[in-house]
Amino acid sequence: MSSGLSVDELDGPEGGGEAERMDDATPKTSQVAGRSPTRIALSRLAKDKVAVVCAGILLLLVLLAVMAPFICDWLNIYPDQKDPDAPTPSEMLETGGIPSFGPPNYPFTWDHPLGIEPASGRDNLALLLYGLRTSLTVAVAATVVSVVVGVTLGLLAGYAKGVVDAVLSFVIDFFLSFPFILGALALAPIITSRFGGDQDTLRRAELYSLIGILVLFGWMGLARLIRGQVLSLREREFVQAAQVIGVPTWQILFKELLPNLVAPIVVAVSLSVPAYVAAEAGLSYLGIGLTESPSLGKTVDSATVWFQRYPLYLWAPVVTIMIMVIALNLVGDSIRDAFDPKTRR
Amino acid sequence: MFGYVVRRLMSSVLVILLASFAVFAIFYLGPSSPAQPVCEGSGRACTPERLANIEKSMGLDKPVLEAYGTYMKGVVVGRDVVIGAAEYDCGAPCFGVSYGTRAQVTDELKERIVPTILIAIGGSLVFLTVGVGIGIAAAARRGTIGDRVMVSGSLLVSSVPYYLLCLLAWLYLTLKTDIFPTTGYFPLSDGDPFKTFTGLLLPCLVLGVASSPVYARYSRGQMVDTLGDDFIRTAKAKGLRGRTVLFKHALRAAIVPIVTIFGLDFGTLLAGTIFTEKIFDVQGIGVWGLDAIRPPQDLPILTVTVLIGAVFIVVSNLIVDLVYGVLDPRVRLG
Repeated sequence: MSSGLSVDELDGPEGGGEAERMDDATPKTSQVAGRSPTRIALSRLAKDKVAVVCAGILLLLVLLAVMAPFICDWLNIYPDQKDPDAPTPSEMLETGGIPSFGPPNYPFTWDHPLGIEPASGRDNLALLLYGLRTSLTVAVAATVVSVVVGVTLGLLAGYAKGVVDAVLSFVIDFFLSFPFILGALALAPIITSRFGGDQDTLRRAELYSLIGILVLFGWMGLARLIRGQVLSLREREFVQAAQVIGVPTWQILFKELLPNLVAPIVVAVSLSVPAYVAAEAGLSYLGIGLTESPSLGKTVDSATVWFQRYPLYLWAPVVTIMIMVIALNLVGDSIRDAFDPKTRR
Repeated sequence: MFGYVVRRLMSSVLVILLASFAVFAIFYLGPSSPAQPVCEGSGRACTPERLANIEKSMGLDKPVLEAYGTYMKGVVVGRDVVIGAAEYDCGAPCFGVSYGTRAQVTDELKERIVPTILIAIGGSLVFLTVGVGIGIAAAARRGTIGDRVMVSGSLLVSSVPYYLLCLLAWLYLTLKTDIFPTTGYFPLSDGDPFKTFTGLLLPCLVLGVASSPVYARYSRGQMVDTLGDDFIRTAKAKGLRGRTVLFKHALRAAIVPIVTIFGLDFGTLLAGTIFTEKIFDVQGIGVWGLDAIRPPQDLPILTVTVLIGAVFIVVSNLIVDLVYGVLDPRVRLG
């Protein structure tokens, strides 16, 4: 069900670290230069047409999200009415909350390319751009934090053995068997009731807590994967050599072991971004994610009742989420194939 | 073997206890008292003194561990539940009384769990047949265009967020056109099994189709591996029919990992198919929990949904681990 977050089936290349260091030392012009697994993977990716096209689409979406304030300024559209320049809802709406410009009742207008949101009078394109921004911010932040947590705990569990490993493994199992959406359900009301008064604090609190919830239920897959890899890596000669000459433990973990784990980490990152994008929109759709910030999922929820009279209002966020998640997933899949030493194309 | 089972059982029980305690504690230590909705819902103004009184009568003024102990004891032997001025006799297994409707949570749980189980069973029938079927078909045609179409098609389907698939199916297949009848759960006790079936048909189909790519990918991979094995060549060489080789010899050897992910998925489905239930308006466990967090919040319902969810997931994990040893003789549980 939760596609993307499970990364158990991956195999990392072994001994990638040494190869990489050797590679850096040799000049690039040399004919017989050894290629690091990372470089092999990159050259495979560049040849993968699907991956390149999807990466292009993603780049465009990221640019749109980053430039959202400028685009909105330029088009003179506003995602909310708090802006002093923004038109009031009564200027934009007729009785019954139906937009007085653009679809569904009037022809297309360049002032509002995607129309106006019924009932609130906000511009749909502005909402979409800011929703994209929220969605990518949440996904990237959640990915970064969960990778840091997952990798650190995975390294510790794999390297420490004994009690530490047993405790960490239990924690991993515990979170894996905790129903994710129910967890989010249980945590959501706490936040709203604590920060209920002030809209701006609530908005920020929701954002942070959503990222927190996603991380809380998203780090285990990577931690377990890393632990498994470290269990086998720690018996290798280069680690034992480092231990013998008295290299400090943190240095063994992060300088000796970590470079060998690049491939599984990159793959986990590339597959967890789409999962987080989908999760953010999904939770917001259910009303337990973001309620104050613009979110694509929230727009989908409020647009559902309008689907017959005003399909554009529903389809714009739906298509945006679909394109984004599909492109991210396809890129992630290509990255996994590219890093998999078993696929030789 | 015996030691392994005991150890797994113990850690499973621990996980379930911890999960339910976590939910309990979250509400207990949260900023607003779980008794707040009861206090506000009674019609009179909710003064701090009244709130304190209600908390005291419900036993919410006690430390969180003690309250949790009372709750768990109620699950085993039953207890009397006091809410405000009213007292309810709650027999074992007692999961409390809903703050909102004042109905026994156990009774409602029994009703709510039926549609969730039906969707889980119906959906898994669909994704097992479709997913494994596509996987086998693709593996048998490995390298051809048909294989590639099936693989990339299932990759595409699995990339679309599930709730969008549900939403679009509901909007365009039942509301806009009449291809599928109105969805929802119509209890079997209404005496119209056909209506029950048609109401859950589309939810099960969408759930099944959306989950099938995972199974297609796994079963294809396993089948491709197995089809390269020597015993398959032997079977072909002694003149068995292609279908017999494929389904009797190869599938039997390739089925183990599929059973594993199926077990885990099924547990997750039983824990609540929130999106399916919300979109298709099926009154199951997931929607129950979702409604319970809307103000006024209903702590007993939320606790029971998390508890039941954790039980299903943990038990299915346990069963998978045990069945694994039976299905694959090479696995030794030690």
